[in-house]
Amino acid sequence: MIQDYVVFVGVNIVLAWSVYVVLLAGSLSFANGGFMAIGAYVSGVLTVKFGVPLVFATTIAGVVAGAIGVLVGFPALRTRGIYLMLVTVGIAVSVKAVIESIDYVGGIQGFGGMVGTTEWHVVALVVLVGCGLWFLSKSPLQRILDAVREDELVAASLGINPVYVKLVCFGAGAFLAAVAGGFYAHYLIHVTPDQFGIVLSVFIVLYAVLGGTNNMWGPPIGATIMTLIPEFVRSLESWRPAAFGIIILGLLLIRPDGLLAFRHVTTRAKGVLATSLSDGAKPD
Amino acid sequence: MLVEQVINGVVLGSMYALIAQGYTLVFGVLDKLNFAHGEIFMLGGFICLASIALGASLPISILVTAIVSGVLGLMVEFVGFRKFHSPDAHITAALSSFAIGLVIIDLSQKVWGAEPVALTLPGTLQTATISIAGLTVVVLRLTILVISLLLMLVLYLVVTKTSLGRRIRAVAESPTKAALFGINVTRVNQQVFFIASAMAGLAGLALAVRTGYASTDVGFTFGLKALAIMAIGGMGDLRGALIGGLLVGVLEALAFQWDLGQLADVFVWLFMIAILLVRPAGLFGTLVSKEIRA
Repeated sequence: MIQDYVVFVGVNIVLAWSVYVVLLAGSLSFANGGFMAIGAYVSGVLTVKFGVPLVFATTIAGVVAGAIGVLVGFPALRTRGIYLMLVTVGIAVSVKAVIESIDYVGGIQGFGGMVGTTEWHVVALVVLVGCGLWFLSKSPLQRILDAVREDELVAASLGINPVYVKLVCFGAGAFLAAVAGGFYAHYLIHVTPDQFGIVLSVFIVLYAVLGGTNNMWGPPIGATIMTLIPEFVRSLESWRPAAFGIIILGLLLIRPDGLLAFRHVTTRAKGVLATSLSDGAKPD
Repeated sequence: MLVEQVINGVVLGSMYALIAQGYTLVFGVLDKLNFAHGEIFMLGGFICLASIALGASLPISILVTAIVSGVLGLMVEFVGFRKFHSPDAHITAALSSFAIGLVIIDLSQKVWGAEPVALTLPGTLQTATISIAGLTVVVLRLTILVISLLLMLVLYLVVTKTSLGRRIRAVAESPTKAALFGINVTRVNQQVFFIASAMAGLAGLALAVRTGYASTDVGFTFGLKALAIMAIGGMGDLRGALIGGLLVGVLEALAFQWDLGQLADVFVWLFMIAILLVRPAGLFGTLVSKEIRA
């Protein structure tokens, strides 16, 4: 039981971070559920059909998903804002449909036989990714990401290539999601394409946004709370989805910036700007 | 056979267009995606079902559906959007409306169950056919097509010709300036939500009547597809939603005709991605104004 919690919370933390990494460069990805599916299936095929060791297989799956992410992301990042959001939704839907139509991995029935994930794999993964992100937040790269996120044009004028930066973040997000998906699949033993639908992608984004996306500690908090809440409302059994939805709404209404939203210099400056220009003011 | 499929596709497309126009109206005014829209569409069928079960005639239940869906839209606006009005909040607003959608789905599954519920109308309304130039067409489909086109025409006239439409366009252009000119922006938002949701409810009713059952799944499948259609047409543009809807409807019908049925769901997304790669703002959209505001 406790092992379940550790694994699911850990996997969801990494997934939330995968969205956070993409958001670092200012784009929002609903495709991470799809990349998670790629990770689950690629690593599953490698371990079950080719006998590759688990950790190695998940790494390969992550690299494959990252490469696919970069390939798809390159054209997708031509679009912006809500259009980009919709393109990533499209990617997630398409990945699911493609997997459903490949008989080699079981089609709609799903793919089974993956074993081997222990809670220590997941804990190690969370610690590793956490350390990576912590070093990132102290490194000059973080400032480049901040610049791209806050204002692409200014960043470009400073000699930063925004498309390249966003692409790297998109690929990194895909990599993380796929690795998480690999370990997840090897814990569940059997996965079906249905598990990786668009709802999952929306939930991953929810984990990150509910926790707060302007620092690396928000997404894990959001993921932990959102994974455990369904267990707490289990006593409501039949009202679970409704209660869950209401809790999400409440959290968003009370803390729209996320539970852990520290005020950074950049956001404060943006707030001052926003009040001085007033909300909707914009150059025509 | 081919022509009949095309006609079916146009009828399907007109329903897509009704939903997509609701999305696009809300997006044009608020710059935010309303993920609960598809669920209101889904409820449209059930509201009609319930009012017919309570003994209302079809015209009255159509009226009831429009009004109840509109009021639900007002609730969605109040709960999911009122607080998230700043331009930065579009992710939050999208997620909060998604949460409202979850609640709506669950509650309606509580009331009507997870299985589709049959909706049969008295008389031969659902089965009557008519032959035009050697083609057999179900009358109901033609009626649905005509009514949806009429609804969209009325919406277009309201937006372009009436004072309400002028207010809507002013808020879409710039909420701040509209407020400076004495327009009650919140009121306009409510009106837009009412109109959009009423149209979605009617589209849901049309789908339920056409297929003969109301189902709790359609909100998600149709709702997401309509979202893609809105992007294909260009966000905030009513013409775009109409043409995108018809285009996707016909192409889907043709895909069924050529036995590509299971790819139809993906197809609309690939089509959207392809269009957005060539025209990053959709067929009729312009990037500039929206982009600066976002």
